[in-house]
Amino acid sequence: MTDIYIYLIIALLPLTACMVIFQVNPYHALVIRGILGGVAAMLYAILGAADVALTEALVGTMLAITLYAIAVRSAMVMRVGVLTEELKQVDENILNEGKAQQLFSQLMTDLQKVFRQYHMRIELISYKDMDDLDRALVEQEIHTTCIRQAPLEQDDRDQAEIQPYQTKTRIKRLYNIMKNELSSSETILTYFNVANPEEKHS
Amino acid sequence: MNLIAMNFIMIAMILTLLIPIVEACKDNNIWQKMLALSSISTKTSIMILVVSVLRDDWMIGVVAVIILSVGNAGFMLIAHVMKRMRNI
Repeated sequence: MTDIYIYLIIALLPLTACMVIFQVNPYHALVIRGILGGVAAMLYAILGAADVALTEALVGTMLAITLYAIAVRSAMVMRVGVLTEELKQVDENILNEGKAQQLFSQLMTDLQKVFRQYHMRIELISYKDMDDLDRALVEQEIHTTCIRQAPLEQDDRDQAEIQPYQTKTRIKRLYNIMKNELSSSETILTYFNVANPEEKHS
Repeated sequence: MNLIAMNFIMIAMILTLLIPIVEACKDNNIWQKMLALSSISTKTSIMILVVSVLRDDWMIGVVAVIILSVGNAGFMLIAHVMKRMRNI
């Protein structure tokens, strides 16, 4: 085989494979995996394996990327449980600009900013009351709860307004990330060990 | 003569293929990467078609046509999954 272009096309395959390996963002890596699939299909077709090329293009590129995109989307999420009335108040907040509700939106924006570095999303799930929220945390439906701390006394009101929210998580890794990188003073972080509820850090 | 012309055409096409590969490598926006992906996919199918015509090999040609026509439907599907991911 004296055709020089075949060697060039073969060289494209490790090039795109290295691009997949060195990509850190999972979504971008999926798209580049599609590029690798296209180049591989071309190489197989030009080397004469038409059936392998067809399978690589249809299954390897289309089906694999779509399934992996759904898998990555479902896996890389932090589910935050909040009370239903909290969410309702945030909706009303657009109308009357309450200060406490602004803190809640600010907290969620900060959380999103922190977890975007780890390519994770925040998903808010609302529960009717505190019992439902605690049960969901213990039964591992949600990763984190975010509740408003009840004002202790009238005198402590000023202090309570500084840190009105309590964020409790049952995943040690999420707790470490939030402790290190969440700079906002709007919340108190707590780690909740589901296996051993007695052990608590704050 | 035919062989030399084929080599030249293919090398030119490979150089063109490098443009979207570089673009996919350096750009950080996911939609730019999707554009590069669809560009590369179309380019590779056209390259397979050219090779099949020059070699007079119909089996490869049919594969190229199938990749070219089914590929666009697949990209639409992937783009919709990505769009849903950003919205929520």
